[in-house]
Amino acid sequence: MAEDLGKIAESLIAGKVEDVDKMTKESLDAGVSAEEVLNKGLIAGMDVVGQRFKAGDMFIPEVLRSAKAMSAGMEHLRPALAESDTKQAGTLVIGTVEGDLHDIGKNLVGMMFEGAGFKVVNLGIDLKPQVFVDAVKEHKPQLLGMSALLTTTMPKMGETINALKEAGVRDQVKIMVGGAPVTEEYAKEIGADLYGANAASSVDKGKAALGL
Amino acid sequence: MEKMNQTIQKTPVFRVLTDQQIEKIYYSALEVLERCGANVFQDEAIELFKNSDAVVRENRVRVPVSLVERALKTYPNKITLKGRNGKRSVALQKDHVYFGTGSDLPFTYDRETGERRRTLYKDIVNAARFVDYLPNYDFFMSHGIVGDAPNPLTYDRHQFMAMLEGCTKPMVVTSVDGEGLEDLWKMACLFQGGEEEFRLNPMFVAYIEPISPLTNDRTAVEKLLFAAEKGIPAMYTPCPSSGATAPATIPGMLVQSLAETLLAVVLCYLKKPGMPLIMGGVTTVMDMRTTTYSYGSPELSLASAANTDISKWLGLLMFSTGGCTDSKTVDEQAAAESTLSVLNAFLSGANLVHDVGYIDSGVNASLESLVMNEEIIGMVRQIGKGINTDPEYLALQLIDEAGPGGEYVTKDHTYEHWREWYFPKLQDRSDWETWCNNGKKTMLDRVKEETHRILDEYEPEPIDDGIRKELKKIIDDAEKRHSK
Repeated sequence: MAEDLGKIAESLIAGKVEDVDKMTKESLDAGVSAEEVLNKGLIAGMDVVGQRFKAGDMFIPEVLRSAKAMSAGMEHLRPALAESDTKQAGTLVIGTVEGDLHDIGKNLVGMMFEGAGFKVVNLGIDLKPQVFVDAVKEHKPQLLGMSALLTTTMPKMGETINALKEAGVRDQVKIMVGGAPVTEEYAKEIGADLYGANAASSVDKGKAALGL
Repeated sequence: MEKMNQTIQKTPVFRVLTDQQIEKIYYSALEVLERCGANVFQDEAIELFKNSDAVVRENRVRVPVSLVERALKTYPNKITLKGRNGKRSVALQKDHVYFGTGSDLPFTYDRETGERRRTLYKDIVNAARFVDYLPNYDFFMSHGIVGDAPNPLTYDRHQFMAMLEGCTKPMVVTSVDGEGLEDLWKMACLFQGGEEEFRLNPMFVAYIEPISPLTNDRTAVEKLLFAAEKGIPAMYTPCPSSGATAPATIPGMLVQSLAETLLAVVLCYLKKPGMPLIMGGVTTVMDMRTTTYSYGSPELSLASAANTDISKWLGLLMFSTGGCTDSKTVDEQAAAESTLSVLNAFLSGANLVHDVGYIDSGVNASLESLVMNEEIIGMVRQIGKGINTDPEYLALQLIDEAGPGGEYVTKDHTYEHWREWYFPKLQDRSDWETWCNNGKKTMLDRVKEETHRILDEYEPEPIDDGIRKELKKIIDDAEKRHSK
């Protein structure tokens, strides 16, 4: 069976979404535990992807395809993992703040988090603070990501954090902010927990903050 | 005796697309507008499209070819810009190339700490002074976004004021929204003798951008419509990131970018035919290792040159990009990347080449980068002078006079022509010993010294006190409106 899980990892590294999807399901059907499929298959594969990306041997389009494969596999594993109390990566809710229609940056971050095994709820763009508040209440994420590309929309991130405080849900999530004009310092200023300088480091910081 | 059938090439000729390739790209862009269309999130624009031959479904606008082609015929081939000093110094027309900075960099390199920090009002004034002083810069964009303005929704008025403080040359300005642009226009009209004169002697071009792919947000469209109404020159400049917000192939990116431009071409025509609209495009790749929107890639230069070819074919003026870098600091990478894009933009014949001096992928500003690029542009302009093959330049008589084993350094011909060469100000051509005796300075050392010298010494022509009061009133009124 370990051999089959190795194949899952290989397929994941190669970005074969359908193969990973199919093989994950087959492994579960054959009685392998979800935890084992996760650790020896999917995570083993993503670890290699992560290393190769950092070494400059893999590039964003390849990593995203592997992330998509990871996400497909996780769909099968999530119910079983929940039952077995296995520690899971958790949920990320992410969106671009009010007045800002820029989409791609936070989508990349979301996809990279999927690659790390997170369930990702992508709320979209131009989102009022209340939309974030409602999403935190509904999805109970461990992480909330906010993006702004414009200096004129950056303050909306702080307003959203205030809205979360008023709604009494601020402390339920770690808040991460990012976007070209945003800095570590600014993140602290507005009371965010984390600053994501780019998609890859956002995942590293998010995982570290959650003790993963 | 003059020969028959002569073709003289006075300047270098540089093209990256043939007419047939441009036609393919143009027809594809028309196809995009009929098949896919674009999203427009602004009510007046939606109404204008609805009352035209365009097809509107909610916010999605699709435009028939006939409307695009009607609109394209209405744009001017020449726009002349005047500085606040009254000089009509920038005459945009086919193959006339002007260089200038970029705008709205959130950070500035702080030469006291060596770190980057938020851009402040004084940084914009300083950048303005440099552009005013350095002769190879023709127009000014703010080179930063004022981070110490009282309100992010009125920052643009303060930013424009800072620009005016330091620079007398024509400008390209950014604004928050339609109301912001109106205030900047009113401020500019104070120097031009009013609204009517501004139409003939515009002092600035409004920088406006859609969001790729094919999305037009409220504030951008507001600005565009205001510019059309008042006859303010404007560029609607897509910033697609190949592989992320546009196809990963350069022609695919050009098709999408052109479709984005053509939508604005139609919209401005529907608002008021004939406004001075300029085509634009910062067409580059997303770096697949870092996700950075690259300002130093060779693809930026290649795609921009292609876009300029397209603009000339369409009969539109072109706003292009050069002199910028992904490097975090002014170093060898910055020099190499800046040179490549300045040269390509210049040879392509783009009209306004902006973003000169950007470092850190369009995030950080440095005055040193402006000083270094002054040299680069100087060299590149020299290439543009091309080669003259008139008898005086062939110098046949002179070669005969000097004869085998002769010399040229004392000849009248040399005395008359050597001044046509380019003389660098900061590049070192001395011998080893002289260089050692002068302190073994690198290019960057000399750039830094020159930066300090200009910072200390140069004072621009001041703004007249009467006008200054009126400028302040416009800014104060904006603050009052927005503090409610």
